[in-house]
Amino acid sequence: MPDIKTPTTRWTLNGQEVENTSGMTILEAANEHGVEIPCFCYHPGLSIAGNCRICMVESNRSPKPVISCSERIADGLEIETESEVAVDARNSVMEFQLINHPLDCPVCDKAGECILQDHSYSHGPDRSRFIEDKNIRHTKELGPTISIWGNRCIVCTRCTRFCDEISGTSELCIVERGDRSVVDVFPGIPIDNQMAGNTVDICPVGALISHDFKFEARVWNMERKDSVCGGCSRGCNIEVETLDGFVKRLMPRENQDVNDWWMCDEGRYGWRHLYSDDRVLEARGPSGPLDSSRSITAFIEILDNSPRVAFLIDPFLTCEELHLVHALASSSSDSLVGGWLPDQGAAAEFPAGFKISADKHPNRNGAEQIFGHQVFGEDASQLQSALNDRSIDTIVAFCGGPGSDGPGQEWSAALAKASTRVLFSVQEGNWLDGATLVFPATAPLEKEGTWVSEDDRLQRTRSCWKPGEAPFPSELVFLQSLQSALGTRSRSLSAAGIFRELSEVCAPFADHNHSDIGSLGLLLSDRPTGVGAGGGA
Amino acid sequence: MAFRKIFTQHIQKKTCHTMAFYKKHGGYEQAKAALSKRKKPDALIDLVKASNLRGRGGAGFPTGVKWGFVPKATDKPKYLVVNADESEPGTFKDRLIMEKCPHLLLEGILICCKAVGIETAYIYIRGEFVFATERLQKAIDEAYDEGFLGNNALGSGQRIDVTVHRGAGAYICGEETGMLTSLEGDRGNPKLKPPFPAIEGVFGCPTVVNNVETLANLPYILEIGADAYRAIGPENSPGPKLFCVSGHVENPGTFELPMGVPLRTLIDKHAGGVWKGRKLKAVIPGGSSAHVLTADECDVAMDIESLAAAGTMLGSAGVIVMDETTCMVDAMLNVMRFYHHESCGQCTPCREGTGWLAKITHRIAHGEGRMEDLDLIQDVCDRMVGKTICALADAAAFPAESIVKKFKSDFESAIQNGGSPAWKKRHPSVVGGTASHA
Repeated sequence: MPDIKTPTTRWTLNGQEVENTSGMTILEAANEHGVEIPCFCYHPGLSIAGNCRICMVESNRSPKPVISCSERIADGLEIETESEVAVDARNSVMEFQLINHPLDCPVCDKAGECILQDHSYSHGPDRSRFIEDKNIRHTKELGPTISIWGNRCIVCTRCTRFCDEISGTSELCIVERGDRSVVDVFPGIPIDNQMAGNTVDICPVGALISHDFKFEARVWNMERKDSVCGGCSRGCNIEVETLDGFVKRLMPRENQDVNDWWMCDEGRYGWRHLYSDDRVLEARGPSGPLDSSRSITAFIEILDNSPRVAFLIDPFLTCEELHLVHALASSSSDSLVGGWLPDQGAAAEFPAGFKISADKHPNRNGAEQIFGHQVFGEDASQLQSALNDRSIDTIVAFCGGPGSDGPGQEWSAALAKASTRVLFSVQEGNWLDGATLVFPATAPLEKEGTWVSEDDRLQRTRSCWKPGEAPFPSELVFLQSLQSALGTRSRSLSAAGIFRELSEVCAPFADHNHSDIGSLGLLLSDRPTGVGAGGGA
Repeated sequence: MAFRKIFTQHIQKKTCHTMAFYKKHGGYEQAKAALSKRKKPDALIDLVKASNLRGRGGAGFPTGVKWGFVPKATDKPKYLVVNADESEPGTFKDRLIMEKCPHLLLEGILICCKAVGIETAYIYIRGEFVFATERLQKAIDEAYDEGFLGNNALGSGQRIDVTVHRGAGAYICGEETGMLTSLEGDRGNPKLKPPFPAIEGVFGCPTVVNNVETLANLPYILEIGADAYRAIGPENSPGPKLFCVSGHVENPGTFELPMGVPLRTLIDKHAGGVWKGRKLKAVIPGGSSAHVLTADECDVAMDIESLAAAGTMLGSAGVIVMDETTCMVDAMLNVMRFYHHESCGQCTPCREGTGWLAKITHRIAHGEGRMEDLDLIQDVCDRMVGKTICALADAAAFPAESIVKKFKSDFESAIQNGGSPAWKKRHPSVVGGTASHA
């Protein structure tokens, strides 16, 4: 690429001459120099509203303070963010924001991650001069998943702009005027679009509340892990928030190459199955539960006694798990590997470019890189016929997936024909009837490893489990134990270690490693150019 | 040259609003001349610039300069939006023009459209002006019938269409960008500036926004020329002007006088003086958004510069006169309730500030005031002024801060004596305060 010089602007920020790309707003440019200007209505993914006024700064070009979210930098512009004028303007806005705002932080779900709360610590007065009665505004359900707590609303219009610009559904509006203004829906038309949950995330206060998270946890008690949504093959970047190892909430994580700042409701609320009563939580044989060593012995016995073993993989397995399956399959001669795919769902694309894929699995792409492009195609048909005509009678099948109905009717019927069946399953179901051995399987949010999205993006997903408190050995751990028992593995490794093995034998993954993937992932085709190149986490 | 009335000359005549009457009195002659092929648009803009015509809506911006901001070379259509959403308390001048001489406005619109190269004009009229809307629509129909409007306006080859759009009762839609948002079909929230309407106005296209009275001045400027027009009143804000006088006067009404008429003359001579032989207490000279003047400050000329020098503004020239019996606490409560009701709620300082001011004033008027409230009002006003997208916050703060400052004794008395006199009269048995902060 030729070095195209982007035009720059020289301006003065708090007395220091600085340079930024021309056309930036003061707020964005100041941020680049580590000067944070508070804001409520500004959101990088939305249009500029300029209504909250908290980002006012002093300018040499205006007799009045200017709003930095909308004003752009210019040569010779002098901006003061900490002068008396600027600080006084911010303090004024904070006082106004707070006069009618209830002091209900102790029961507000947003507390701890509330921008109003944060700014009130830095800019708010320590006591109120407002002795009047506070305004009362409506608290009501806006849709099946979201309620408005009107008294907390600061009318920043982030949510209405989101529905206008990002989801394109325009369900939300501001009703009433002046200090009666509050967010509402049009009569009889609830907010139920596929991206609705994002409005709660971007609400700078606790006005929009998600029914799913209401009173569930105090946000400061939760642990957060960067992960990836397994709901479809888009691979939206998410943050998994857990309390004592239990998932409480999924939040989108900014990745401009994948999901911007957003995620869909299907992914967001699709984690409850983790705690359903019908999870498979321990290994079992025909005569009941098996402890770890006995289950491994039983497994090896089956492998030893079967002339030909087939493997059925699922597209939820991580690349690391698939690598271990691949190694296991390769070690027995004449083995057959195929994969099953969940039913297609509905694809969706939204005005701002956010997409939901019809392919409801996170790692078909990765499996195809490892097992070849026919693993879900011809190989799978072959495997199914082999099962149906009983030319194979030992099968090891992975029936994972989120809240899945197992591998589906067709595969369940085919599996039932094998006389020896070793099944890994997230949940109980009729496909487990008559299985020789049943092992618990991890659901997408419990996996540690990598997935390859439909765009060839290699991304890391992390387990929501508390370290050292796994309810059962994950596939990653179990398959390594099995290898050790078989004498094909000398020491057990982390997901990163298994990935290193994978990268050594599988060309598409060559030269990559977990730390290069970073928090935002990388394209499989992006080859590191030298030592230490890449993301690095 | 003797002052000639251009708006109110014929208003006593029953048919003054008709095309026939208007044409008989020289109507549309100036528009015909302006729209003739020989007349260059730039010459019209230069003429209006030279006349020093200042906008009559409230801000007093030079009209010719505003037209000059509209880009000449653009692929987009240009629009004229006539601000007929006359809703400033104390103001009723545009209504008179639209009811009595609608063709004067239409002729002004034709001239503006020629000067700026506009084909579509919208008249955004206050929804409550039902009669004015009817008269205006009738005049527009007449103008279409005569071929003065339409695809070949006045035979010029230029298309000029005029559409009347009725507002739905919000004061904020009289703010120019709030009006544009409303015209686009959205909630009438003012827009961020820049971009200014001249560059990106209604539907994202270059737009001239002019007040009714401003446009109605144009035929007269073309008739007598810029020099003669500038000679009417003070040179920097010249012209005939409609002054609306209301409140405690013997003869309230709309008076057409040269710009710069002394306020005392306006009240004492034209409006018949303060009523019932009482003394003058206070005057709001330019609609309720202006700083109030005390009786002692009323020796001032009614023009843009003089009133600015006196610390207030000509605004919409809505002169509200208050006599010595007026309790300024009640007066302020009335004004604050209005702004609290009408704030669009978009910007934090205005949304919260207008409500706060109304509540404090309500409390003082109803006997629960505290001395520190007076400083609090000043401080809240300081925190509102100049910090919002549009000027509504300023419009609420200006009367508040000036009333409290200039009539402090009224407030002190209400605080010390358990409420404003009017409130105490209605609640004789109440000692101290029992105000509910509704």
